[in-house]
Amino acid sequence: MDFLHNIIGILNEHGIAFLKATWITISITGVSLFFGTIIGIVFAGFKISSIKFLNRISDIYVGIIRGTPLIVQIMFLYYGIASIVTLDSFTAGALALGIHTGAYISEIFRGAVQSIDRGQMEAARSLGMSYSLSMRRIIFPQAFKRSIPPLANQFIISLKDSSLVAYISVIDLYNTALSVQGENYMPFETYFVVGLYYLVIVLIFTWFTNRLEKKMDVSKPKEVRIA
Amino acid sequence: MIEITNLSKSFGPLNVLKSIDLKIKEQEVVVLIGASGSGKSTLLRCLNFLEVAENGEISIDSEKVISQKTNLNKVREKVGMVFQHFNLFPHKTVLENIIEAPIFVRGENKEEAREKARILLKKVGLQDKAHFYPDQLSGGQKQRVAIARALAMEPKVMLFDEPTSALDPELVGEVLQVMKELAREGMTMVIVTHEMGFAREVADRVVMLADGNIIEEGHPEDIFTNPKHERTQRFLNQLL
Repeated sequence: MDFLHNIIGILNEHGIAFLKATWITISITGVSLFFGTIIGIVFAGFKISSIKFLNRISDIYVGIIRGTPLIVQIMFLYYGIASIVTLDSFTAGALALGIHTGAYISEIFRGAVQSIDRGQMEAARSLGMSYSLSMRRIIFPQAFKRSIPPLANQFIISLKDSSLVAYISVIDLYNTALSVQGENYMPFETYFVVGLYYLVIVLIFTWFTNRLEKKMDVSKPKEVRIA
Repeated sequence: MIEITNLSKSFGPLNVLKSIDLKIKEQEVVVLIGASGSGKSTLLRCLNFLEVAENGEISIDSEKVISQKTNLNKVREKVGMVFQHFNLFPHKTVLENIIEAPIFVRGENKEEAREKARILLKKVGLQDKAHFYPDQLSGGQKQRVAIARALAMEPKVMLFDEPTSALDPELVGEVLQVMKELAREGMTMVIVTHEMGFAREVADRVVMLADGNIIEEGHPEDIFTNPKHERTQRFLNQLL
């Protein structure tokens, strides 16, 4: 009973702050995913390209990003680069998150393109389509569809990873929880509430991507249930 | 129509084709036979430049093709190809599969391309499947769509790479029927197949390959009833 009471107390007192923080979390994730997706497309293209130099660049980028912790990347961009250019915390955070997810997204796109059967490219080429036309009209649409589930997964990871920007003083959900907890000394209830916020965002997002996936899946016959 | 001179091709250390010479006349139906690994599929794929041969020359429609200089996309427009595994585009309907290349490669307008596609679908007996997706079709139907798709580019030659090998036995007939029809209309065809009955009935010439060489060729009656080469005899015996 106490627990419920405390939770309602937190929501009453800090509801507005959490709502504002939700917006910050969603927008920093959104901006980072936007850039991350662009970066992902570019570097997937580099990796698929027949130009060795571009392959190499993509390898190096993915290697460095995957090989170092996100928190280090965030700190590096915010504090480390501060001596050259000063970025506000939101921009630095969004940039770090974008560069970070970009590496994973590029691997998702590359994997999806390479998973398309060789015969598709051969069929397209045998009809007189050029390499780039075949890519654009035949390979990419199929690869995009195939990349939706892992992409959705990556988006969810990014949303939760965005909590690390609290350490460069972006007032996101997690940072709000830190300061609320510092006031009320109720870590159990406070972190429970903030966890709930993340959970609800992820569930809503999952619901949307499931619908998108079903909608995109036009070429499959209607689902068959096997008893 | 097609003239192959001294063609050879290796995959790494493996010499798949060794100095192949072959002429195919207009309206001729040539069936390539041979054990797996004999190079028949590779030869077919070289004709479409899906494999690029290291040595030798290929002329198609009296135009010499030099892979570095010739626009291969233009050559491929003249050469239709049907694959063992159909390779239909799964994200497009039957109709969209057929009109894709005519619209985006030849620049036909949509209406014209659709009209032509409908005529082709009728020809392969699938006029009622225009708006189906490939996954909703049987193997035989898929292969017939693939034939219609290749024909939509109005090719001068049609290549068939084991077009019935991936089909259930009861679906083989419908595909062969369409191919017979094509042959009767005078399409130049090069076919890799294990359907010897079909080869006997439709082929003008049968070419036997072994280890990357043409070891025997001739009229199907002669090859099937009176094979000269010992390896042809062995190959045909194994099939019966």
